[in-house]
Amino acid sequence: MAKEMSKTQIDRLGDRLRKGNISEDDLRLLDQYRRSFTEAYEFVVGAIRKELALEPTGRPAKSTTSISDKLRRESIRLTQIQDIAGCRLIVGDMAEQDSVVQSLKGLFEHTTVIDRRERPSHGYRAVHVVVTHLGKLIEIQVRTSLQHLWAELSEKYSDVVDPAIKYGGGSKDAQELLEKASKLVNSEESNERGLTEILILSSTKDNLSDDLKRQIEEVQGVQDSTRQATLNLLRKLIERV
Amino acid sequence: MIFLIEYDRNRGQIVTFEKFDDSEREKAEEFRLEMELNLNRLGIEREVVLLEAETEEALRRTHRRYFEDLTELVNAPS
Repeated sequence: MAKEMSKTQIDRLGDRLRKGNISEDDLRLLDQYRRSFTEAYEFVVGAIRKELALEPTGRPAKSTTSISDKLRRESIRLTQIQDIAGCRLIVGDMAEQDSVVQSLKGLFEHTTVIDRRERPSHGYRAVHVVVTHLGKLIEIQVRTSLQHLWAELSEKYSDVVDPAIKYGGGSKDAQELLEKASKLVNSEESNERGLTEILILSSTKDNLSDDLKRQIEEVQGVQDSTRQATLNLLRKLIERV
Repeated sequence: MIFLIEYDRNRGQIVTFEKFDDSEREKAEEFRLEMELNLNRLGIEREVVLLEAETEEALRRTHRRYFEDLTELVNAPS
């Protein structure tokens, strides 16, 4: 088994990655560092599969390119990066997202929840649950399908148009488009959440009358159409770019 | 399943795509390291990433940016 790397050793490696011109020795050291997350990663992903019967897509180790980019972009040390290993869960809507986050908090002893729905990061909305296990941080991304589609578009734009777009830079037009798209997704999901809350509050008081059920179904129908229209409008806006 | 992806960010395209059984994690990690070392020797910048998913379909759903160009992404079902 490889000797455990010291924090200083890891952060010095991070400094070299930040500067570029990575040597073979550095790539091997980074590989060793990433593999030190394997046990914690397998514990977290295994528990999600077994205890919650969910199917995350795992990323056992962040790519060298993404690590180097992050080190250059942010004043952060390699040992501070909290998504070296992690996984992603895509759920239907915000109510399900809340429920999954609660389940994750109950499942793991040490968790930190980062909710980017109310305060998005450059338009990115999602909930990240960071689990600490065996001294390692494992990030679980929980996204709704709408949040996920937006995030995938943002990443693709960053890949093929300008890497700065994902972090609030680059083309102003692309930025504006992504910002408006993010607001549309937020508006749609907020409305859906509002109706869910009304439904819960009404149900706790008494059995829903037929009249109230009809009204709620009517609003649900409108929301389904709006959701679809939001998606269509989003696609049309993007096609124009 | 474990998937090893070599991705050209500038072109937005996958260059190589390999699959491994869940029991082959060590082998997949060795392949990833070898690929990174080779690309480094050649001075080629690519994103090399290992991902795990129940099926390839599940992987395409959660990481579709690797698989689809922008038009396909725009027209994809949510």
